[in-house]
Amino acid sequence: MKWGAAVIVVAILTGLGIMPFYVSNYVVTFTLQIFMWIALAESWNLISGLTGYVSFGHVAFFGTGAYTAAILITKLGWHWLPASLVGSVTAAILALIIGYPCLRLKGPYFAISMLGLNEVVRALVSYFDRLTGGGSGITLSPMNTILPLYYAMGGVALAGLVITYWTITSRFGLRLLSIRENEVAAEAMGIPTAALKLYAFLISAALPGIVGGFYARYVSHIEPLGTFPLITTITMIVMCLFGGRGTIFGPVLGATLLSLFQEWAWSRFLYFHEAIFGAIIVLVILLMPRGILGVLQQRFRLPRVV
Amino acid sequence: MPSDLILEVRGVSKRFGGVTAVQNCSLAVEPGKIVALVGPNGSGKTTLFNLITGVERLDEGEIYFKGDRIDHLPPHKIARRGIGRTFQLIRVFPELTALENLLVVARQDWEPAYRRALELLTFVKLDQLRGEFAGNLSYGQQRLLEFARVLMIDPDLVLLDEPAAGINRSLLNDLLNAIRDLRAGGKTVLIVEHDMKVVMDLSEKIFVLDHGEKLTEGTPETVLKDERVLEAYFGR
Repeated sequence: MKWGAAVIVVAILTGLGIMPFYVSNYVVTFTLQIFMWIALAESWNLISGLTGYVSFGHVAFFGTGAYTAAILITKLGWHWLPASLVGSVTAAILALIIGYPCLRLKGPYFAISMLGLNEVVRALVSYFDRLTGGGSGITLSPMNTILPLYYAMGGVALAGLVITYWTITSRFGLRLLSIRENEVAAEAMGIPTAALKLYAFLISAALPGIVGGFYARYVSHIEPLGTFPLITTITMIVMCLFGGRGTIFGPVLGATLLSLFQEWAWSRFLYFHEAIFGAIIVLVILLMPRGILGVLQQRFRLPRVV
Repeated sequence: MPSDLILEVRGVSKRFGGVTAVQNCSLAVEPGKIVALVGPNGSGKTTLFNLITGVERLDEGEIYFKGDRIDHLPPHKIARRGIGRTFQLIRVFPELTALENLLVVARQDWEPAYRRALELLTFVKLDQLRGEFAGNLSYGQQRLLEFARVLMIDPDLVLLDEPAAGINRSLLNDLLNAIRDLRAGGKTVLIVEHDMKVVMDLSEKIFVLDHGEKLTEGTPETVLKDERVLEAYFGR
């Protein structure tokens, strides 16, 4: 069983590793985007799927990472890789500043405060136009090949998966789940909920920070409206819920299936595909709030390690 | 304060808006005893539990545990000092399994924690259901699971908020024996209970609350003969 799983993992990783040499540029680009969504959905899962603190402003960390990296690349001439790593640090610092007061808020109040955070960060980015280019944004010199970004984004998606695996199978993760299940009881049983929520939030913000840096390098042009859209947060949430919140592979499944579906629907129903996507959101919430893996987990009594 | 008390509540008050839930309440609990807190609905028993465990912040007064002041500490620090509790409205972790409900609060290493959790589940007769989500258990089973969970953190002072509610007769005897075992093992138990038979059976001392104030205290026999207690409970 253990060896079988190892063989499958190695096969998938090797396949994805050599794939760019055998497929079209379109497929490579598309896979890169799936990697991006996997990393983002896993990051949302870490705070919201595990502790139940629903973040409606996760794209703020993505945008912060994107701008940090873009500024370091254009103003200081940094390579995009270290620039993106610094982007994740900036995002984590933002999470520390905002998480300390906001993680005391319960339920919808936390969600709304995170929505507010996103608007504040976007306004700040527009305001400091000498650094950020204001509304017209920052343009990076074009890249010859996206191949390094393909591997970098794949690496972050894998890192997100490994961090989630490690978290969910550890005592730390079990304690995060107890916060989601009943925070008052968890605290009364000696679990330091405030500190644990903050740790989870920091990890959860660092991931989109680095993804944002890669994204800036990938699209070569960022501006406030396109870098902080609410729809990006909502897409993370839907992918995570669709696959199964609080599970390890749920966000991977959700990100992959919904990306494939969107690509398919977009090419067939140019004007209608967003309505279909919206309908899927409603159906998922109504019919299987635990998501695909959540349902399978309960029906077949799978261990938590899925 | 005298060091022979495990818990001392001094002049504690708590208001929610215009409602005074607890009014200048004082009680002293000696170690190694089973002590009951009784009183009609709304008399402030659960609020007092919440104040002692830090779930609510008090407006006035002081609370000491083993001689140290604890009323400014967050709940998890109070728990780690050795006060454990159950809740009147059950608060298990519904989407964790019965076993995980115990493991998650454990502070010892994984191996001994696992052994202890299985021991406790067997003790409350839930070992066959260890892989079941706590939310799928019956009301009485969830109460027993909460009881096992508080034992998991091995507190010196155990606060039980209506532990007998919803538990059938045969399990109730086991539960009462378990509570007596706690005292035999050197623990102190503070219990809120409406079932007077349970209170008379178990406790060595009773505090009676009414409208947030302490009405009287004493042994079960003396308290039940007190005119004011009868009046508070049954009206005159």
